[in-house]
Amino acid sequence: MAGFLYMSDLIKPPALHSSHTSLTYTVIVRCGPHQQGQSLSAFEFTKELLVQGHQVLRVFFYQQGVHLSSSLRVMPQDELDLTALWQQLSLDYDLELGVCIAVALQSGIVDQQECRRYELSAVNLAPQFTLMGLGQLASASVESDRLVSFGG
Amino acid sequence: MSCLMILSCAPYGSRSAKESLDVALVLAAFEQQPAILFLNEGVLQLLPASKCPATHKHIGKIISALSMYDINELWIEQESLDQFGLTKEDLSQPVNVISRAKVSELCSQYDQHMVF
Repeated sequence: MAGFLYMSDLIKPPALHSSHTSLTYTVIVRCGPHQQGQSLSAFEFTKELLVQGHQVLRVFFYQQGVHLSSSLRVMPQDELDLTALWQQLSLDYDLELGVCIAVALQSGIVDQQECRRYELSAVNLAPQFTLMGLGQLASASVESDRLVSFGG
Repeated sequence: MSCLMILSCAPYGSRSAKESLDVALVLAAFEQQPAILFLNEGVLQLLPASKCPATHKHIGKIISALSMYDINELWIEQESLDQFGLTKEDLSQPVNVISRAKVSELCSQYDQHMVF
């Protein structure tokens, strides 16, 4: 609950000035495909930022959130495929989708390079997503006006 | 850009506590030392763990490394301590104790909040 309280504090100022000022955001997604409500909120929030003309420096997928970058999940036909939604948003707005490399490797999500390095049997990082270190989160946060995290 | 990390995960049982402290250390490595507020079960991360199961990473070791990374501003909520029957003296690190009523005031002093 605390998370929501503090998050609402964060969201308030841009909501007041959204028609005038464009702000720079970093979004952290810590919730995975199984926390559908939270994951969808993260997506809808990010999409709305872009629609309203704000700049989203980077979306950083951490903890359970890394599972959203797997191309091997198959969703039932009548359910939302959040991975596909993020990919489309990334294409539409040239949005950077960063995935924590340490957590990804522990969760069985690898790109071509890591597949070769650890001699694994398959590559499953979905297109548009990029593996990166936590340092990329730190550098994005210092350049952003707002940092908003989802999940927990 | 000042950052307050709010940690409310228990030290063991999931990877959350370790992963949140990893973020703190990386921020510090990028010279953005965050302040940290321990809430709810998060206060248990500050217990001096004399014994840690061999199957887990020792959270106490990461906590004691915070000062080496110049992360010195540690806050803990009084009500969370009370919840576990703990006092400031039970903890492994010197911390600032803050009442629940003052938490929002503390939050407002920072540009960014990371909630774990």
